[in-house]
Amino acid sequence: MRQFFPVEDLARDERFVQTNMAERMKDGRTAIDVEKQSSAKSRGATKRLTPERHDASDAARGLMHGIMVGEIQALEGAGRTAHDFAAGDGTNDTVPFELKLDMARQAWDEARHVEISAKLSDWMGTELGEFAENTVLFEAACSNDPILRLAGVNRALEGLAIDVFTQMKEFGDVAGDPFLEFCEDWMLADEVTHVKMGSDWLRKVTANDPDRRTKALEFQQVVDKLFSFGGARGESADSSFSLARRFRELAGFTDDEVETISAMDAEALEERKEAVRKYRERVGADA
Amino acid sequence: MSDATAPASTAKVTVSPDEFTFVKYDASEIAAIVTELAEQLELANPIRVIVDETTPLAKVSEEIDAVSSDATITLHAESGALEDRKHPMSFSADVARESLGRILLRAHDRMRPDFADAPGDLDLTLEQNAAWDTYCAGRLARMGVRVNQQRWRYNHRNRFGFHDDVDARFDQLWAADGLGWADLTR
Repeated sequence: MRQFFPVEDLARDERFVQTNMAERMKDGRTAIDVEKQSSAKSRGATKRLTPERHDASDAARGLMHGIMVGEIQALEGAGRTAHDFAAGDGTNDTVPFELKLDMARQAWDEARHVEISAKLSDWMGTELGEFAENTVLFEAACSNDPILRLAGVNRALEGLAIDVFTQMKEFGDVAGDPFLEFCEDWMLADEVTHVKMGSDWLRKVTANDPDRRTKALEFQQVVDKLFSFGGARGESADSSFSLARRFRELAGFTDDEVETISAMDAEALEERKEAVRKYRERVGADA
Repeated sequence: MSDATAPASTAKVTVSPDEFTFVKYDASEIAAIVTELAEQLELANPIRVIVDETTPLAKVSEEIDAVSSDATITLHAESGALEDRKHPMSFSADVARESLGRILLRAHDRMRPDFADAPGDLDLTLEQNAAWDTYCAGRLARMGVRVNQQRWRYNHRNRFGFHDDVDARFDQLWAADGLGWADLTR
């Protein structure tokens, strides 16, 4: 069976159209109130995904579709990591056999999440493939170093899943949607386990290789910032969802790590605002 | 603002901006869709379409400056309301027809005397907005516009609750025609 699968070769039927972060960042539009001039009625008083938003159900549908394609890619990524590396002691491109078992378990979980998310999408009135699929998740699972994959996918990406699922669970709870709240709660429990697996294996495999650990944590930071989607995650009212601090703690993140991610989210938001301002100056449009 | 009037139309439709910078939209294509919808609704009023292309959000709203056949109808749309969701920044005629048709139906409703008490679009409560959307989306589907009923059912449930009686009310509004504002909000 083929190893090290490139993102371009992911199998999708004709319903799905893929995009990537580079394409996404070309979009000069923003829902962020860059100049703080727009009225609450025109732009919405908050970007936080809550039922109080005027576009609450559509925003939830869009996010749910993003979760669904994210689950497909997480399944593909975990499956690849279980298969791409030989069993060994963790050196020379090998991974401990128990790590492969954890990846196989994660693939099983993600397959279940795909089914759940597809059914939730149907329940919410979304067609499969209705929105573009951003392949950024699988791209983070393409590193030649399995430890970088754990840092990028299990800690950064599954960490983001914890934040998003917490917000969606709360949305379902407040809106009174019994299926959304229930399903997100169960999937959230799995995501905490996946992040914990990443945290534990990263520490174990790099116990005697501090350089490799540093490199992996640096890669995680890069991915974390990318996955902040220009400040979509953060404490600001301009962000759709916030860091789920308690669940991240349960998943093995230290307080310092959570603070670092929070600071990066704020930085990503300011960078996005600056990029939008520059774009608007260039095209001569009114903010 | 461009005069992007489509031919063979009784309604004069203009679209602003006439050239788009942030998105790949064509003002004349938007005008043609609105003209076609206005013809179906037998609306002869002048219609202004104002698109906010600086935001990817999808809010739409309408206003009329008087209740008469020559009053100007203004349709406001954020760019996401006209967007192909598979290809961000690209136009979708189907999505535009669904979004603009919905608010054109609202404007059509406002011409009725029994809608005189309806608040302006931006002053509607979330529940009033959802009930009116359900009523408009149902009629739009019967006009032949592609509408996903489950999407609107979910929107309705989010505002009124996830219960059987809410679903029954949704079905009533969806199938209804000729309602007044009081019928809509009872």
